[in-house]
Amino acid sequence: MKAPSMALLRAFAPITHSQTLPWTARGCLAQQQKSNFSTTEQRQARDKNRGPKKDPRITQIRYHLYHPLTPRPLRFSRNRALRHWTIHRAWQRYLDEQRKQTERTLERQYNAMSAACEALRLVDAHGLTADERTKIGESNTKEEGRLYRIAMLKTGVWDKVPIEYGRIQTETPPRKGWNHEWTR
Amino acid sequence: MALERSARPLAQSLRCTRHERIALPIRSFTSSTARQETETQQQSTKPPLDPFTVATPRLERKLLREQKKIPIGSRRRRAAMLTSPNIPFVELPYQCFQEARKYLQEDRTQKLEEIRVQRERIERLADKVVVDPSEQQKKNHRLRSMRQYLEELKILADINDPMIKKKFEDGQGDMNKPIYRHLADKKWRSHKRLLLMQRIEQMHVTPDVLAKVDPIVETTLSFTGPSRADRHRVARMVQHGDIVDSRVSEKAPTLRIQPFQKGEKLYTIAVINPDVPNVAADAFDTRCHFLACNIPVSPTKPYVQLGRLNKEQIVLPWLPAFSQKGLPYQRMSIWILEQPPQGELPAGSNDALPSKPLDVKALQENEKSSTRENFNLRGFVGHTKTTPVGVDLFRTVWDEGTAGVMRRAGIIGGDVEFKNKRIEPLPYKRLKENRYR
Repeated sequence: MKAPSMALLRAFAPITHSQTLPWTARGCLAQQQKSNFSTTEQRQARDKNRGPKKDPRITQIRYHLYHPLTPRPLRFSRNRALRHWTIHRAWQRYLDEQRKQTERTLERQYNAMSAACEALRLVDAHGLTADERTKIGESNTKEEGRLYRIAMLKTGVWDKVPIEYGRIQTETPPRKGWNHEWTR
Repeated sequence: MALERSARPLAQSLRCTRHERIALPIRSFTSSTARQETETQQQSTKPPLDPFTVATPRLERKLLREQKKIPIGSRRRRAAMLTSPNIPFVELPYQCFQEARKYLQEDRTQKLEEIRVQRERIERLADKVVVDPSEQQKKNHRLRSMRQYLEELKILADINDPMIKKKFEDGQGDMNKPIYRHLADKKWRSHKRLLLMQRIEQMHVTPDVLAKVDPIVETTLSFTGPSRADRHRVARMVQHGDIVDSRVSEKAPTLRIQPFQKGEKLYTIAVINPDVPNVAADAFDTRCHFLACNIPVSPTKPYVQLGRLNKEQIVLPWLPAFSQKGLPYQRMSIWILEQPPQGELPAGSNDALPSKPLDVKALQENEKSSTRENFNLRGFVGHTKTTPVGVDLFRTVWDEGTAGVMRRAGIIGGDVEFKNKRIEPLPYKRLKENRYR
């Protein structure tokens, strides 16, 4: 036999009626939300004497927001705000400093790498530059920059990259859809 | 003693400051008896009344009676001040705050060092002798950009100081210093300038009077109000574009022209009304209500009383703003024109050049600049080589005082009423009895 559903019991059980709500919010329970998740304004029938009906949710929010029992918004005193501002400013300067350091490191590293590449470009298979070769009396410049060219080869760079990234990722689908025929 | 201070709030309510005078026998951890302390306290004379610390209504009345001073701040605040140790803001013992201050001070010394280095660099470059004109141009450009960077550094050195921020917010900033000028400029541009530009554009002051304007000085307009019972006159501030009662604008206003750049300069002020009706042409003309030249204004001396200028400065004295019955509102646009500088500064220097004074005699004799009707401000600006740097606006309409204002100023036409020309409806739109057909 199937066990009876507990849903009904749960719905009407007194324990679910939470008494922990502040008394100012208890009106909300009676006034359940009846919105049909649409963003357009709901046209309600006009009363002849009064203006358009107010949204009950807005009324509720107003009631609680401006209720005398609602505590005033928290604000810093003047000195406190100034101290806060000082600390905030110092923290921002600190972050600035950090950012500058990182940038400088990156720049240094980039420069070092480009210098290394340049040195490699000027060197032949024996590690000699053109000047050094003329010094020892050799004039074979065929090998010069070979190591550099090999280092700069781009073959196999995309090997491990999934096929989806073969096309640049865009916000909208392409006009022709997915090309299933395509192979590498 | 420190212990006692920490224990005091327990024994005393903040609101009831009378307890201050009743020496409570607080048990402090001392070997001597508490009674001795109370005795010494009783011997001390009462402290003099201070407008910052009087906290009871009785003492407030006494202060007003004896020293003719009004207490400062709320009673709650004064009561709190009575018991506070009154530590200066920068010495407040909060660890994070003090650490932050230390860090900012380090940053400031760094900036000062940078300023010194930049100054030296500028000097070195300025001393360099260059012959080639293209090289000279390059050098001047470089000097100018270096100077700009130096000015930026000056502001960056001071902008993180909480005391400077506080002073500026209290309105005690010294406008001779670049940092306060920078802050004032920022504040003006954040709201007031936007509002001014909105009014100027919505009411089509540009391009009706001048083609365009990019204000760089703040203008605040105020008229002297009617005298009160105690013979004090209260200045009436006028929002940009406000409609002003004609009796209020009968006397010349006071302008506050706040430049945000260093140095004293000469300005020309013109008040132009572009809404003068021209019935014959079925159009509108302009009229100049005021024109004065060579008015010195500096960041620290911004006030200009248009009614109290010298005879040598005024070309056209103040004519009260008026409208006529049946007319729409009249826009009274106030233009601040900066006079051209004398000569040229060497590139990279930070001095402010004095302005070239205009020849008022010649302007008075010149028919174009000395007639109010059909005054052409575009022509005037081009002729005198001035640049519009500020603008303000108020409006005037026909009200119950305008007839009297016009009579007192000797302007004819106070009894004229303008009416729209009645356009006869087309025959088929007429009422039945008026139709001919």
